[in-house]
Amino acid sequence: MTDLLLKYFRTKQQEVQSEKVYDTQCPFCSMQCKMQLIEQSVVSRKTFKTIGKDNPTSQGRLCVKGMNAHQHPFHKDRIMHPLLKVNGEFVQISWEKALQHIKEQFESIQAADGHNALSVYGSASITNEEAYLLGKFARVALKTPYIDYNGRLCMSAAATAANQTFGVDRGLTNALSEVPHTRVIILAGTNIAECQPTIMPYFEKAKENGAYIIAIDPRETATTKLADLHLKVKPGLDAALANGLLKVIIAEDLVDKQFVQERATGFEEVKEHIDSLSLDEISSLTDVPVEQIRTAAIKFASEDSGMLFSARGVEQQIDGTHAVRNLLNILISTGKIGKKYSGYGAITGQGNGQGAREHGQKADQLPGYRSIENEEHREYVAKVWDVDKDELPRKGVSAYEMFQKVNEGEITGMFLMCSNPVVSNPNANFIKKALKKLKFLVAVEMFISETAEMADLILPTSSYLEDEGTMTNLEGRVTLREASRPCPGEVKHDWEILCEIARVLGKEKYFPFTSAEDIFNELREASKGGAADYYGITYDRIRKEQGILWPCPDLDHKGTVRLFENEFAHSDGKAKMLPVSNMSEIPKEKIDEEYPLYLTTGRIVSHYLTGVQTRKSSALAARNFESYLEIHPETAKKYNIEHNNLVSVTSKRGNIVVRSKLSEKIRRDTVFVPIHWTEAQNVNLLVGEDLDPSCKMPGFKVNAVKVSPI
Amino acid sequence: MRQKLVVVGNGMAGIRCVEEILKHSSDVYEISIIGSEAHLNYNRILLSSVLQGEAKFEDITLNHMKWYSGNHINLYSGETVIKINSAKKHVLTDQNRLLSYDKLILATGSSPFVLPVPGVEKEGVITFRTIEDCKKMIETSKNDRSAIVIGGGVLGLEAAWGLLHLGLDVKVVHNSDCLMQRQLDQASSRLLQKQLERKGVQFLLGKTTKEFKGRQHKVEEIIFSDDSSVKADLVVMSIGVMPNVQLAKDCGIHTNRGIVVNDYMETSERDIYAVGECVEHNGFVYGLVKPLYEQGKVLANRLCSTKKKRYKGSVLSTSLKVPGIDLFSIGDLREDESTQALTMLNEINEVYKKMVFRGDIMVGAVLYGDTKSQSKIADVIVKRKHINDEEKQQLMYSTEKDHSLLSSMKVSEVICNCNGVSKGAIMEAVQHEGISTLDEVKQCTKASSSCGSCKSLVCDLLEYIHSDDCNEVTQPKTLCACTTLTEDEVVYKIQQKNLSSVNEVFEKLNWFSKEGCSNCVPAISYYLAMIYPKTEAVKNSIYENKGLMFTPQKGGTYNITPRIYGGRVSAQELKKIASVIEKYNLISVGLTSSQNIQIKGIKEEHVQAVCAELNTSFNSLENNTVQHINTLFGEHDCVCDHEEALQLSIDLEKSMEAIITPSKVILSVSACKHSNAVNIQKDINIIGDDRGWEIYVGGQILSVEQQEELLTIAQDVVEVKQVVLGLVQYYRETANYLERIFDWIERVGLIHIREVLFEDSLRMQLVERLESEVQQSLSL
Repeated sequence: MTDLLLKYFRTKQQEVQSEKVYDTQCPFCSMQCKMQLIEQSVVSRKTFKTIGKDNPTSQGRLCVKGMNAHQHPFHKDRIMHPLLKVNGEFVQISWEKALQHIKEQFESIQAADGHNALSVYGSASITNEEAYLLGKFARVALKTPYIDYNGRLCMSAAATAANQTFGVDRGLTNALSEVPHTRVIILAGTNIAECQPTIMPYFEKAKENGAYIIAIDPRETATTKLADLHLKVKPGLDAALANGLLKVIIAEDLVDKQFVQERATGFEEVKEHIDSLSLDEISSLTDVPVEQIRTAAIKFASEDSGMLFSARGVEQQIDGTHAVRNLLNILISTGKIGKKYSGYGAITGQGNGQGAREHGQKADQLPGYRSIENEEHREYVAKVWDVDKDELPRKGVSAYEMFQKVNEGEITGMFLMCSNPVVSNPNANFIKKALKKLKFLVAVEMFISETAEMADLILPTSSYLEDEGTMTNLEGRVTLREASRPCPGEVKHDWEILCEIARVLGKEKYFPFTSAEDIFNELREASKGGAADYYGITYDRIRKEQGILWPCPDLDHKGTVRLFENEFAHSDGKAKMLPVSNMSEIPKEKIDEEYPLYLTTGRIVSHYLTGVQTRKSSALAARNFESYLEIHPETAKKYNIEHNNLVSVTSKRGNIVVRSKLSEKIRRDTVFVPIHWTEAQNVNLLVGEDLDPSCKMPGFKVNAVKVSPI
Repeated sequence: MRQKLVVVGNGMAGIRCVEEILKHSSDVYEISIIGSEAHLNYNRILLSSVLQGEAKFEDITLNHMKWYSGNHINLYSGETVIKINSAKKHVLTDQNRLLSYDKLILATGSSPFVLPVPGVEKEGVITFRTIEDCKKMIETSKNDRSAIVIGGGVLGLEAAWGLLHLGLDVKVVHNSDCLMQRQLDQASSRLLQKQLERKGVQFLLGKTTKEFKGRQHKVEEIIFSDDSSVKADLVVMSIGVMPNVQLAKDCGIHTNRGIVVNDYMETSERDIYAVGECVEHNGFVYGLVKPLYEQGKVLANRLCSTKKKRYKGSVLSTSLKVPGIDLFSIGDLREDESTQALTMLNEINEVYKKMVFRGDIMVGAVLYGDTKSQSKIADVIVKRKHINDEEKQQLMYSTEKDHSLLSSMKVSEVICNCNGVSKGAIMEAVQHEGISTLDEVKQCTKASSSCGSCKSLVCDLLEYIHSDDCNEVTQPKTLCACTTLTEDEVVYKIQQKNLSSVNEVFEKLNWFSKEGCSNCVPAISYYLAMIYPKTEAVKNSIYENKGLMFTPQKGGTYNITPRIYGGRVSAQELKKIASVIEKYNLISVGLTSSQNIQIKGIKEEHVQAVCAELNTSFNSLENNTVQHINTLFGEHDCVCDHEEALQLSIDLEKSMEAIITPSKVILSVSACKHSNAVNIQKDINIIGDDRGWEIYVGGQILSVEQQEELLTIAQDVVEVKQVVLGLVQYYRETANYLERIFDWIERVGLIHIREVLFEDSLRMQLVERLESEVQQSLSL
């Protein structure tokens, strides 16, 4: 809450009349900082204060987003009742009518267009219980294979790469508490200083303790400032740069031979591939000097411990999976995984980016990181759910592909929970066009977001202050968000909404839950024996032990602090290395005469995702109320762009208008626009529709554009 | 039941470990300490200082009897443990005392090495280890003339310096060519030798002792292996120490050079631990104090906590306690093919520095003559920090941080983004609240208390503020020379004490002068008008303002400027003005640059009548009010629609013309960017655009550096009005008298202003207050 600096006492100081305290966790990033909101009432006015609470991950720290998080749930625009669109206007209706409407629409769509005509689009901001229930809802209540979620646009490349390489995907293979003691760190395409600010002290401590930090990023950011060595790679060439590092490691005889022999497969193939590459070529390709590549490689390989972190910079690319796998090749070839102070971290973005990708929201997945195409897995989950295994749908398609199916008329109804695909997906104009074709779109939302605006029916959902449930943070630590504020107005929790819709659809027997904890207990059962095994975790234990790192297979198990100490999760116990080519299998867009600049996108500290919540927050909007274009002064000069001018940025897909910000921190061939704005400032209007063939991640980070002043 | 902890050894390592244990918990163990020396624990390192007369024996006692008794420790001093029975878990002392233990700590220390040569038993041949040795030397100095120190290491040189101080003629015998050859390289060793020689110490280098000779029981002469000899009344042997391992060895504990321990300070025997100089860890025996303390900490942790810490060995560093000699040596100075050294020798000032690197990691360093950077270098070596070539040079030549970035930072620049704390706020806290640590800054200003990412910047800023580079001072200013109170304090007290007139303020707030001055009188009048908007004070102030609208000229005439809203005039208005001009024969009428018509030369007796006939409000360029709003009307040829902008400017001007402001406020409204409005610097500059209305603030005509900044983009004119009215009201309620908007923004910060204006409820409150004050003012 902003305190006014008034000189005059306009009204007499009022005594606080009542005070309410809510324990919760920040609704934004994957650090899931524990916090307490204190709401004080003074006459008719309310004031708020947020304080950080100690916990093993954020240790009581909060960032500017967390401190002002309460500003959106108390915002006047928050939806308090179900809203039905009548003649283009939203009108308030009762829950009973809303549910009835859903029943009629869903049933008529499925009768006319088949079962698979309904689809579900989920979110990585919802709790584990809700993510789990949404997956079950799609498969059991709607019987559709078409479910996917916004994590596809976020974590899918890192998750796929980790699954392929290690056999399991938990964001951090080690607890954060090990970071301060490692000797060398590679930060590949991650801007933690802006995206997860409260993680920074771990890295600062590491630096204080003498760690050498290498950053890979086309831009200088608040994060690269920490680095001893910054490799300013040309956008999209991370895989090639990783090959350069491998080349030096092999040439300098710095491979941990025992490790690659005993703990991994595929090293010989990687070596053979690397031998065929030229370091000079890689250097000119990536625009990183040979000397810098050498220094980075030698530093990383020769120290006795080291950690590597990656994030969207490397992953949101159409070769994201392979780029991450190539980074993991470095880690394995130097034996820096499965050991104290050595390991990998995919810095998860969204609040429950980790948990939401484990329990069945993904098109091809069942709870506990099980596969929907694996007969044993189907059988196990079908038993837990008390349904016939053969009735379980098979795998569906990825997020963007789902909209393609909508466009083609194959999908005609959509149930959308806590997500804003109109803004977050690539080729955003296309998404809008596709959604218009739907016969029926239900959005579960807190605000009339750009996507909810297009819905036929909006259902009001609860916020982080009200919705209790577990969230799995970036470490893989399962935490319990105690949210205890009663729902305002006619707002309902996501899980309540799912249970009620299931009820009107006649599926109540499968959704008998009366609390989040009920659902969690079924989730534990469903995840038992899977890769992400939560069986040993209970609400009581989480409260007592301040969170538990999965896998935790039984009630006496302490949780797993460090993965892969003895073996990897593949059946042979070994990590899989893979030769990765310098260039993407599906070619990335190249700059040319017409579109002469690379556009890369990213995040800034005061906003989160598509900004539906943070742009409503006065204190966060005060820091950045509009988007911008970061451009090198020389490039700006070339295109007649002055500082603080409105600039038109155009790609083959579309056009946006943002204000220029001249900065020497960016490469001359690259411009940057943050992702948190909509309409004419929505940078995703410019992003192409090609997808990574393994994980279906779009290529947010490399697109060719032209710029001109307005 | 408390467990029994027995500590063998009452020296520095054992006692430090006990202190660490007590820090964890004072009631886990019942502690007994047995020490051979009949003293309390004292600081052995300072014995040379005692010898040099820098300290007294009393000064070097570390733990007094009170400490032992206060912590319920049983001390058996002057008593020696002669046997350990690890099976029965007890120890036996030379006083036949049997003490049983649950945990046993061996801190038996070491003994000075004694040369195995003939005559070593003669009187006058001593070692330098205990208080007793020290006393003996002091005693000897009273009668004898010459002393020989054998051993050119740290302790030997310190002893030599002490003996010299006692008035003896001192020679140091050393078997190597270089003094302190384990810690110094040749160059630094030579410098040290030269400097000590100048102080009066003589050296016999490269000599190995063969025999001590003396006619009777007393030593008189030392014979060397080359058969040369030297006279001596007193010989002090300082040639190293041997860990005391016998006791441990006898009971079957694994020993080598010292008592062998693992990373947790555990010996090979269950429940028996060892710390200090008697210990061998990873092949190393340490004789310096820092490692012993580190070991003590690890062992205390092992005995008291479930979270185990490991002892990872220590990097050795040395300095020499001889006054006037600055010397620091750390790590490994040996050079080979894989090392690179950076050296600097300044023979004039006798400064020598050498740093040895293995790649980017510094492995050893010696500093002679200038040791200012020793802690920085120690940090770099201990933490194995990576240093690039540029940083290497910096370490060599400068120890001071470059503060130019911080000093060039504006005072208003935000350091802590989370809490919006500026550089100025932190400086003020440091300079006026007297705080100095990061934690205090967190407490006092909230900076760095949230996400912590500005921690290093805050630390640098603290260092800068405390350094000589910092000559910025944030001084709270008094209102004027008539008072010691600041402006804010005056305003606060007027309200607190309900003061209602300028004179009352002077009286109740102890003004130095009864009449005040040209600074405080208008300021206080202004504040009174702000505090009591319904009273006479305002009336007066407004009246004064109104009075000012008729600007008196030389020759007793007046000028007036009728308001022409938006710069657009109607036929009626022009006619009215024309008829007044005609009627009163006013020949001097002109157009101003701010879209107004000024009528000059009105005679005093006509002023009232002219006003009445014009029947409009007036504008004054000198008043502290919201000024006429410039619309650049008639200055552009574009096809854009100007009507909305004109109406907006008229509405804004009308809704604010009746209020006073801290200083004058100049606005401009433009329908589009074609008039080059962007380049017009105003307090508030509103420009129409495809996306809405851009509202710029804080422009300053006279300053090129102070460019206006974009406050926000309003969706429609309703929002523009709310934002602008809210902004002006917030400025009125928070700015100092005569503080212009740009200075005010610089002081409170644009982000803060946005936070207030973007919060619907706060903005509405401000707008409502402004509107109600306008109403009150109009009703007067």
